[in-house]
Amino acid sequence: MVAGQGTTPTPAPVLPPRSEVGAVGWARANLFSSWYNSLLTVIASAAVVLGLWFGLNWVVLDAEWGVIETIGGRFIIGGYNTDQACPGNDCFWRPQAALLMTTALLGMLWVVAGGVVGRIAMAVAAAAALCAFLPYSMERMGLDVRLLLLANLPALGVGWALARYTPVGKPRWVLVTGVSVFLLTVVLLRGIPGVWGLQPVPTLYWGGLTLNLLLAVAGIALSLPLGIALALGRRSDLPIVKLLCVAFIEIFRGVPLITLLFASQHLVPLAFPEAFPRNSLFSAGVVITLFSAAYMAENIRGGLQSLHPGQAEAARALGLAGWQTTLLISLPQAIRNVIPTIVGQFISLFKDTSLVYIIGMVDMVEIGRTFILGNPEYRISTKEVFIFIALVFWAFTYGMSYASRRLEQRLGVGTR
Amino acid sequence: MTTEDQSHEADDIIICRDVHKWFGNFHALRGVTTSVRRGQVVVVIGPSGSGKSTFIRTINRLEYHQRGQIIVDGFEMTDDVRNIDAIRREVGMVFQSFNLFPHLTVMRNITLAPTKVRHVPIAEADAAALELLERVGIPEQADKYPGELSGGQQQRVAIARALAMQPKVMLFDEPTSALDPEMIKEVLDVMRELAASGMTMIVVSHEIGFAKEVADSILMFDEGKVIEERPTSEFFDHPREDRTKAFLSQILG
Ligand SMILES: Nc1ncnc2c1ncn2[C@@H]1O[C@H](COP(=O)(O)OP(=O)(O)OP(=O)(O)O)[C@@H](O)[C@H]1O
Ligand SMILES: [Mg+2]
Repeated sequence: MVAGQGTTPTPAPVLPPRSEVGAVGWARANLFSSWYNSLLTVIASAAVVLGLWFGLNWVVLDAEWGVIETIGGRFIIGGYNTDQACPGNDCFWRPQAALLMTTALLGMLWVVAGGVVGRIAMAVAAAAALCAFLPYSMERMGLDVRLLLLANLPALGVGWALARYTPVGKPRWVLVTGVSVFLLTVVLLRGIPGVWGLQPVPTLYWGGLTLNLLLAVAGIALSLPLGIALALGRRSDLPIVKLLCVAFIEIFRGVPLITLLFASQHLVPLAFPEAFPRNSLFSAGVVITLFSAAYMAENIRGGLQSLHPGQAEAARALGLAGWQTTLLISLPQAIRNVIPTIVGQFISLFKDTSLVYIIGMVDMVEIGRTFILGNPEYRISTKEVFIFIALVFWAFTYGMSYASRRLEQRLGVGTR
Repeated sequence: MTTEDQSHEADDIIICRDVHKWFGNFHALRGVTTSVRRGQVVVVIGPSGSGKSTFIRTINRLEYHQRGQIIVDGFEMTDDVRNIDAIRREVGMVFQSFNLFPHLTVMRNITLAPTKVRHVPIAEADAAALELLERVGIPEQADKYPGELSGGQQQRVAIARALAMQPKVMLFDEPTSALDPEMIKEVLDVMRELAASGMTMIVVSHEIGFAKEVADSILMFDEGKVIEERPTSEFFDHPREDRTKAFLSQILG
């Protein structure tokens, strides 16, 4: 609400701190300071009340949430554990084991980064554990599944303790562990031919939220360093390097992601030897990473340009080499200055992973869509399906922007 | 060259011979010839745009010169990167706008270059940094960030940061002109102490009181040239050039 301008010419009296004036004083100062402020307050409150009333009414009384229950685990892993993908249907433990590794990793990160990461780690572990108590029948959701979900709590503790009490808690080792967990997850999901219990599951069947998250994590982890490299290349004194970086950035920013995804199925294999298996998941990962890196490069470049030239001069005058100046002085400040934009880029990357449906991959959104199409009796529940999907996406993106805000506070962005 | 000149040369830590600098077509330095002996304090004055900053920035090659010769502590300033890096380690610089690194604490600002360039062990660098902070009078600010300090304190940290590399020469480009009057003195006091300790200093400054008290000689710049270079008292008491007289009467009011 906009605070109104005072109209009386008398000098304002010295007011006591707001906290001492109480709720009424606060409301008067912020919500009813002038007639149009009061009007706005009333209209906005009415809108909120009406929205809540009809929204809650629908959520509680009218909505048919049964469809969510019916789709159930497929939201999470897609067709991973179906008969075509995994004859015998005993592959469910593999995504679950991956989740356990991830929670343990979050436990380690909690020790290293503390604060907000700890809260996010606990939220993830708690959400997973709570899923163990979903009111499904024991046939639909067996004891093994429930126990594996519950195990996320001890997994968090194990990761935390490892980082707290062993040398693995060094940031360098946590990074190594993180990369290992990602690679292990991919191997685990892919399976190893001939190994009992690890029958290969073609990536075509990887789906649901797992697919969105895998692509997002790989894309985020790779597009940031690649974007930094491109941004530095674009500012390079070497004309060839500069030209290549500019060309890359402009091409990948200039084409819609959907087009790139289409093209990827034909173009990415060209870059690899014949023997390299054709794989939609891999192509999608590459394209999403490159696309995001092009934007990331421009974000970082913006951050670099916002720096006072005196910073680099001071560093050079102290005798730091050019690369040291970049790594220790320019980049940390540039990145710090554009954290909100970088996180915004991460968020849109995460949401964009749902575009892989265009090359036949079945992400969480596509699960919902194909389910409705294939089961006309559920067509009236379309709203519920998509609202649920939206909520899941929102929970993750909100987590990211929450973490970003806390990170900014901790780094003192805007205050020093 | 006479023998007397030779002996002088050996004592000169900075030698500039006919230094020219162009920014595009703009001729900013037009044949600067001067030298600075070890332990000498030189104050550089002159009207705005006369090339004072450009001159001291060519000495540690933040700007490169296109013609002439600059020799610092026996190294000639050329494109040779090793020479440049070697010189920069020996020459400390303090800027008008402080240019502290805002993402590092005061302590890290000071220890960064010694640990990364000279590979001093961190404990040793920390101890040296604390000593320097004592010397500039703000040991209690060690763990703050630059943004939390006043301008005068920031400039004193900047001086400590430059000193941490144990330079042989210190360059100051209008170190007090971004400061409020009450903070100017605290910075000048630090510079006085530094001069008394025998540091070679080149100071661009219009603080005439400071110049009279501390400087061994004054360099008067105008239009990219040194138009007058004399021992301090002679310079102020009997300026030779008309432009110097005009400039002095202007800044002395
Ligand atoms: N990077 C640059 N590009 C183009 N011209 C420049 C650049 N730096 C300085 N100049 C020009 O060179 C001339 C000398 O500048 P310099 O900064 O050395 O002057 P100064 O004597 O330090 O002046 P002041 O007292 O205002 O600091 C000025 O006319 C300035 O406009
Ligand atoms: Mg200047």
